[in-house]
Amino acid sequence: MIKLEHIFKWYNIGGTRSFVLKDINLEIEQGDFISIMGPSGSGKSTLLNVIGLLDEPNEGHYYFMGEDVLALKSKKRTALFQSHMGYVFQSYHLIDELTVYENIETPLIYKNLSGKERKAIVGDMLDRFGIVGKKDLFPAQLSGGQQQIVGIARALAASPKLLLADEPTGNLNSKQGEEIMALFKQLNEEGMTIIQVTHSEKNAEYGKRIINLLDGQVK
Amino acid sequence: MFSLLNIIGLSFGLAGFMFIATYVFDELSYDRFHTQADRIVRLNAHIHMGESKLDMARTSDMMGPILRDEYTEVEDFTRLYVSSGAKLIKNGDRWIKEAHLAHADSSFFRLFSYQTLHGNLHHALTEPNTVVLTRSAAERYFNSTDIVGRTLETNDAENTVYKITAVIEDMPGNSHFNYDFLFAMDNASYENWGALLSHNFTTYILLKNATDQSLLETHLEEYVHKHCLPAAKQFMDVASMEEFRTQGNLFYYDITPIKDIHLRSNLMGELQPNGSLQYVYIFSAISLFILLIACVNFVNLSTARSASRAKDVGVHKLLGSSRSGVAGQFLTESFLLSFGGIILAIVIVVLTLPLFNELSGKAFEINDLINVRSLPLIGLLTLFVGLVAGYYPAAFLSAFNPLQVIKSRSVVTSGKSFFRSSLVVFQFAISITLIVGTFIITTQLQYIQHKKIGYERENILLVSDYHVLGNQTKAFRDDILNLPGVKIGTVSGYLPVSSSSRNDNPYSKETVMSAHNSVSMQTWYVDEQYLPTFDLELTVGRNFSAARLADSTSVILNETAVKHFDFGSEKDAIGKKIHFQLGDNMKSYEVIGVVKDFNFESLRDPVTPLGFFLGNHPVEAAFKIETADLPALLAHIENSWNKFAPAYAFSYRFMDEAFDSMYRAERRMSRLSLTFAALATGIACLGLFGLAAFMAEQRRKEIGVRKVLGSSVVGIVIMLCRDFVKLVLIALLIAVPIAWWGMSEWLEDFTYRIEISWWIFALTGIISIVIALLTVSTQAVRAARANPIDSLRNE
Repeated sequence: MIKLEHIFKWYNIGGTRSFVLKDINLEIEQGDFISIMGPSGSGKSTLLNVIGLLDEPNEGHYYFMGEDVLALKSKKRTALFQSHMGYVFQSYHLIDELTVYENIETPLIYKNLSGKERKAIVGDMLDRFGIVGKKDLFPAQLSGGQQQIVGIARALAASPKLLLADEPTGNLNSKQGEEIMALFKQLNEEGMTIIQVTHSEKNAEYGKRIINLLDGQVK
Repeated sequence: MFSLLNIIGLSFGLAGFMFIATYVFDELSYDRFHTQADRIVRLNAHIHMGESKLDMARTSDMMGPILRDEYTEVEDFTRLYVSSGAKLIKNGDRWIKEAHLAHADSSFFRLFSYQTLHGNLHHALTEPNTVVLTRSAAERYFNSTDIVGRTLETNDAENTVYKITAVIEDMPGNSHFNYDFLFAMDNASYENWGALLSHNFTTYILLKNATDQSLLETHLEEYVHKHCLPAAKQFMDVASMEEFRTQGNLFYYDITPIKDIHLRSNLMGELQPNGSLQYVYIFSAISLFILLIACVNFVNLSTARSASRAKDVGVHKLLGSSRSGVAGQFLTESFLLSFGGIILAIVIVVLTLPLFNELSGKAFEINDLINVRSLPLIGLLTLFVGLVAGYYPAAFLSAFNPLQVIKSRSVVTSGKSFFRSSLVVFQFAISITLIVGTFIITTQLQYIQHKKIGYERENILLVSDYHVLGNQTKAFRDDILNLPGVKIGTVSGYLPVSSSSRNDNPYSKETVMSAHNSVSMQTWYVDEQYLPTFDLELTVGRNFSAARLADSTSVILNETAVKHFDFGSEKDAIGKKIHFQLGDNMKSYEVIGVVKDFNFESLRDPVTPLGFFLGNHPVEAAFKIETADLPALLAHIENSWNKFAPAYAFSYRFMDEAFDSMYRAERRMSRLSLTFAALATGIACLGLFGLAAFMAEQRRKEIGVRKVLGSSVVGIVIMLCRDFVKLVLIALLIAVPIAWWGMSEWLEDFTYRIEISWWIFALTGIISIVIALLTVSTQAVRAARANPIDSLRNE
């Protein structure tokens, strides 16, 4: 599904190159569950952003489902992202002014789905994650764990093939974290490909494979 | 950047406020400089007979002396006689036309307060052939003010030589009359001395006490009974005042305190065009609005900024600062900013003063705006603005719960943005109202400019001071008519613009005139070329003919006159007679033609009855010209003039300029409202810009999230702009009825006016939305194009 070849990412600081990613080679199969680990500043988030098409490497090749992503025009890349990837953030990043229902609906609006289709999908999501009763609440009225569940529901609403999660449990207590991880495991068993960035050994264990990064290199 | 926007917006607002406030105070200060202003009143006459309604700021020459002799509350009186208009005064060997002059009683200086430079004002005008000059007139003619005892030669009867008896400081601009020369009353070229019913003098009364006004008014009624009625009985069929009144007529006098003349009086025979209280109200409102908009900006931007300052405040409070300490800090900051705004405003005022003078038609100097009197006010204004603008953020921010502020990511919730949104709506409502006003005033002026007024006003050259040609008027006219490019010409002072001669007389179609059958009609003496020169259209009948001797007793009426005489159709009027009583003589005229109505006064007023009579009135000449080389033609005409009247300056004007000058006040209003609409909109946009920048900053994360969720850049820009467009639309809804009402009131002044049409509002709506979008979109696009990773990076 994903193939990274000699990916480099650097910043120029005072004339010298400071590498964030250094010659990353990685292959990820459909149905995989990857945990990316490493200390702060090791390049975990950048690698996730490169995979998630939010960031561009300076060098290297990236094939997503056989397509040379970096050669695509930005419009096509956005389309690819929209149809295949879902993103979950550490601090949920729900839109404060929108209800739970509307938050989940947002990506569907951007996919230009009809009102009827959106209603069906959002209803399905609310059902699936057991938050039907909270659909009219605003994010501020939910606990952190609940907010993250909404975040995941929103990421999955557009039925992606790949779920990207940047420290999804970072802002949660351990019990809430466990619930989220159990949810991820279940999703993976249902066939979802997941890549998560995490600090926690325990959470990393939920994945099928762990990639350790240090100073931008796979160890 | 916020502070800069804050100060710029505030200073432009303050500068606008200072300008208009000075203008308004100046308008309100008229004639207050006379130390006895409280006790001086002017007499007005009101004579309504049949269709004719005369409301004049004039009295007979007798009224002042009689009132002083008969009523004890009258301490003194003085009269001005200006009917003779301009004089020619000899300077070296050239004659100069001077228009700012009057004949005055010697009591003039006992009532009015002017500063003497030389001479003694107490007996300055007691002798005949004496004159008092102002400083600038003295300097113009003698290069000195120390000229008492020297003489001035004028074109008065037998070239009267006047002895200069005093020189005074120039009369202040804020006075309802302004003269450079005051001549002795004895020299007034007036024929009806003693005629109680001829109203040609401006009379001022000095009361013993300011409270005697109502007493004087009751005595004015007595005066009519005792003096005017017996005089009227001599030539009119009126037995008593009661009968006169029951016939639907009025004849009374009243008074205007001189402090009210400039803004509250608009009668016939005012000494100069007065101001209007309506405009003072409008401008006061505009200046307050501009100040408000600027303050609103200040408040708006300060509270907007407060979000980013909230954390600071939280930390300060955690570190032990009290609420009043925090509030004090914000107020101090606000005062400093408003002080900076004032300083910048003063700089703007100094730099743009000439521009404002041009716009307003005033001649303010810097020390009229910034002086000992206004500085404390400016200081107070600084404090006021600082307090108003600083109060909300101070009260709002200092009340933050520190823990909540530090923990949460955003304190500015939708509730607070409602407050700011309403401020933006308020600002735009004002801007839109002003823009609509500007549109309507401009459209009305366009309408006036292009309305078919019934006569030709393009390519008509008017040569002034025609009377100095003496018996050579015809020779000069023929000389000019021989020039190539000059098609036709007429000699008459009665022109279809309000700045020219007028002559109103009562006529009747029966031989005995009574109050019902008299028609008050303009009596214009013209030659046989008048109608063709101005392209006036005869609907029936014929023009005057030089060949027919009988035409000296013929008259050509306009359609309105035909209606007022009740002749039936225009055809029926031909051959009918109208009569005019002059002393014991009665003159009769036969109607030989009817011209289509044309607007010979400003379009504010309806067309009134008018009759053309064949006669000699050599005041101005009008020539219809058609030439590609106007300067050469003018040079030719001037050459010819110099041949006929070498001692007199050639002076001319164009008919369309004379026409335009009737609407100077409206044009000024239009320019002023345009300027201040632009200013208000500009300041409102500054505020909008700041607010948009703040909103974009505030919603940075949300924008990032939405982009990650698949929104396009355009989608984000639309989302950000939509909110602002909504605000502008609400403002439009509020402004439309206000503007509609206000402008309908203004248009009421015009008999001929445009309809307020919907497209003006539509256009204004589109303009304000476009302006708002342009202002907001730069910020929106910048925010939308930002890389979401930067805004979503984990904290």
